[in-house]
Amino acid sequence: MKWVRVVFVLVALGILCTLTMWSGGGAAEAAMPADQQKTAKIGSSLIGKLEGPEILRDVKAYPKTFKEAPMLAEKVKAGKLPAVAKRLPEPSQLFVVKPLKETGKYGGNWRRAFTGPADHENANRINSADKILTFDYTGAKIIPCLARDWKVSDDGKTTTIFLRKGAKWSDGKPLTANDFMFWYEDIYLNKNIVPTPFFEFQIDGKDGKMKKIDDYTIAFEFPEPYAFFVYQLAGSTGIGAGFATRGGFQNFGGAYAPAHYLKQFLPKYSSEEAVNKKAKDLGFDNWVSLLKNRYSWALNNEVPVMTPWKTVSPINTPTWSMERNPYFWAVDNKGNQLPYIDKITLTLAENTEVANLRAIAGEYDIQERHMHLAKLPVFLENAKKGNYTVHLDPGFNGSDVAIHIGNAYEADPEISKLLKNKDFRHALALGIDRDQLNEAFWLGAGTAGSVAPSPDTIFSPGPEWNKKWAVLDLKQANELLDKLDLTKKDSEGYRLRTDGKGRLRLEMITVGGQFVPYTQVGEMVKQQWKKIGIDVDVKELERNLAFTRDNSNENQMITWANDGSEMLFLFPRHALPVDAAESHMGMAFAKWYASKGTAGKKPDDPELLRAYDLFRAAFGMKEEDRIKAAKELWKIIVEQTWSIGTVGQSPAFMGVRIVKNNMGNVPERQVNAQHARTPHSSMPITFFFK
Amino acid sequence: MLAYIVRRFLLAVLTVWAISVLSFMIIHLPPGDYVTSYIASMSASGSAVSEGEALALRDQLGLDKPITIQYLKWVALILQGNFGMAMEWGRPVSDVIGDRLTLTIVISLAAIVFTWALALPIGIYSAVYRYSLLDYIFTFIGFIGLAIPGFMLALIIMYVAFAHFGANVGGLFSADFAEAPWSLAKAWDLTKHLPIPAIVLGISGTAQMIRIMRSNLLDELRKPYVMTARARGLSEYRVIMRYPVRVALNPFVSTIGYLLPYVVSGSIIVSLVLSLPTVGPLLLKALIAQDMFLAGTIVLLLGVMTVIGTFISDLLLMWVDPRIRLGRQ
Repeated sequence: MKWVRVVFVLVALGILCTLTMWSGGGAAEAAMPADQQKTAKIGSSLIGKLEGPEILRDVKAYPKTFKEAPMLAEKVKAGKLPAVAKRLPEPSQLFVVKPLKETGKYGGNWRRAFTGPADHENANRINSADKILTFDYTGAKIIPCLARDWKVSDDGKTTTIFLRKGAKWSDGKPLTANDFMFWYEDIYLNKNIVPTPFFEFQIDGKDGKMKKIDDYTIAFEFPEPYAFFVYQLAGSTGIGAGFATRGGFQNFGGAYAPAHYLKQFLPKYSSEEAVNKKAKDLGFDNWVSLLKNRYSWALNNEVPVMTPWKTVSPINTPTWSMERNPYFWAVDNKGNQLPYIDKITLTLAENTEVANLRAIAGEYDIQERHMHLAKLPVFLENAKKGNYTVHLDPGFNGSDVAIHIGNAYEADPEISKLLKNKDFRHALALGIDRDQLNEAFWLGAGTAGSVAPSPDTIFSPGPEWNKKWAVLDLKQANELLDKLDLTKKDSEGYRLRTDGKGRLRLEMITVGGQFVPYTQVGEMVKQQWKKIGIDVDVKELERNLAFTRDNSNENQMITWANDGSEMLFLFPRHALPVDAAESHMGMAFAKWYASKGTAGKKPDDPELLRAYDLFRAAFGMKEEDRIKAAKELWKIIVEQTWSIGTVGQSPAFMGVRIVKNNMGNVPERQVNAQHARTPHSSMPITFFFK
Repeated sequence: MLAYIVRRFLLAVLTVWAISVLSFMIIHLPPGDYVTSYIASMSASGSAVSEGEALALRDQLGLDKPITIQYLKWVALILQGNFGMAMEWGRPVSDVIGDRLTLTIVISLAAIVFTWALALPIGIYSAVYRYSLLDYIFTFIGFIGLAIPGFMLALIIMYVAFAHFGANVGGLFSADFAEAPWSLAKAWDLTKHLPIPAIVLGISGTAQMIRIMRSNLLDELRKPYVMTARARGLSEYRVIMRYPVRVALNPFVSTIGYLLPYVVSGSIIVSLVLSLPTVGPLLLKALIAQDMFLAGTIVLLLGVMTVIGTFISDLLLMWVDPRIRLGRQ
């Protein structure tokens, strides 16, 4: 029987080998679709027209009579809820939306995926209608939101907002200026709760103040001109992102808070012992931790909110579910109280692969978060079976994979010297074949170019800057490197160091498991740089380690998206080293800038210092001057190439949107931007089930 | 006997203390802390945490204090029966783990039942009918089960279930039941979802157990006492089941020590792939987020379970195997 065993072992080995090869080969195939050309065309044909709902600002056109969802009408009938007209603000103070295509139908449960309690932005962004001001569907224009209107004084020092008279919290209590003053005096100015003031509530390091003018008028006052503050109120910032979003972040922002509910958790309104005891009884360390929990709409389903939906089952359970807020203060142009959709249910996917597979199976109604661009062919293949449509929403940022240079890197003097040399950075930038990257990793749906934002955005310095230092030019790249004395090469054709320590070896840090396959892109760049004789080690690190190394200026280069940089002043950290919370381009310099020279290290680069001055001054400038400054800044950033752009303006970053075919009023294309709080800018309150 | 148990108990307490120190240190080994990890995870999903917020967070969580103080604070909390607050979850650690513990135990027990119900009879059969056709087939399947990593099997089964049977992918409940209170229909829904995780989790263990059972039993079958039993005219069933099988079970009993922590944690990778709401993925996420209270408590729990499990298997071994019991006296 011995031969039987031999045969058996051989067969088993054969099967194992096939299995291993199959699994290994599968990964390579996914990264490089065989039929690239065809997919590329499909990719760009899925990008539709940018569209969205309009808000009505002419009071004469406002509806006079109101309707409501059947589930609320029942409660009214049963006497559990006041009539709809009593729940809405005064008719002249309403938020009136003309839906994108048609008047919707009430009802339905919007099914989505979320990945756990850290994924609060998932529904924060749907529920962002409680922002003080917001951006319209183009992402470019500021429109009113929670506030009915705003005014900036001529000197730029005061920004006044006007609230909607009769607007109510989700428990029926009115929202007034007192809720703003409560936030300012009892939350923001309490050092136990907010130990460091918000960057955006300061101009040039000097604190702003909040003042109550009357019950429905609030003024934000600054010691110096701060015309940009209105953008801070409209953007995704600590002060402007709305009570719900900041609570979701477990931070105490939002500029207003439900005083009538939160007072019970503050020592000021009882005593320190009483609130601490309350906290201990509920398992919290102290009253601040308890307050933080009670402040979060995602964790606490009791906190009154101003958002269209309120939490039923909190985010730290397997399903995060919400239902309509009966007091939501918006109506459509026919007088139907919004939102149309009754409920939202987010089910927990322990990993994004499962979320993608479930989306392919048609188990989600609208899902743009966590969907992978690399799976586009599979999404399309199953679209009919899953009864959904795929939309691609490109972003406006220049580069989904920017190779950020560690401008403050010091460890290796020779490499540090080279990285600080503009010509060296230009040579690296010219040595990248961006079209190859675009085809391989973006399925042709991205745009090759520098880090500068899309020419469609207000701050763009012009389309020529998207190509500047961002095209493949091996000849010029080699010339630049030769001029730097990097002329000697080893037998494999790689350039040698000038200090005689062998081959010049750079190190590029990448992070795995993100929206964009950084490591694979890095590996392809490595191949491309071989042609200019530059050797680079691509090293994949765990995300936290990569960021920690950033903080101590240990990274020579790191690949990370420059998302958000299209709104340079709202979110500069991916464009310039100015933010001490996150900076890939030199944390030491960012700290120096943020601390006004008291910490970190002053950069030697005169152009960076010029950029710093311009950037700091821009916050006080009037709108048109500020736009000019932004354009000038982008020119400096591109010319200096502190980060090397590759491919961007793509849907890779939360821009692959799976929409079931029975969903109405969903735009063909929506802005895909952090400041616009996508999908909030498309007004999910007007989405409905056909 | 009593002295033995007391000694083992004291040793166990010491081990648990060592585990607490080690687990706390291991969680602190990676660079950065919960706040850096939070900033990175927000940046990865297109959101931002400002510097002021980061400072405030670090201050509130006490992360700026020296590690020894943080450890003492943690231990003091535990001694009061409070495991701290899970940072990412904003809930007491005991609640977060408690939510998932029941389901984890259900899945793990299902996998263990699957493993044992299959492995023991097959192992016995393979040993008794060595080199028969069925033995080869079982061996073959067993090797495949051993060689294919569980997560890969999970992916394949999940894809096949979705593509060919239109089954609900991953998780333990359909969307309709996830939120519903417990009812018969919900229990039935769970039963429908249970086989895939049980099979995937059980298959490699089954393969391993078949091999162990087979070789142990083979060793025993050769021994003279078996021949004696046969010579005495005992029925074949009685000869095998009464003596050699009992002896061959020893290794199973001694692995109970490892089974206990497994029951509590489930398999991390497979649970992640199949999106099972068990303790495994919770631990992984807590480690990535450097949430020291949550990760520390789970690691501590696993350690304690191992210690208790080993203790129980020692006692069981004494009970099952007279040789050990008598040898000690």
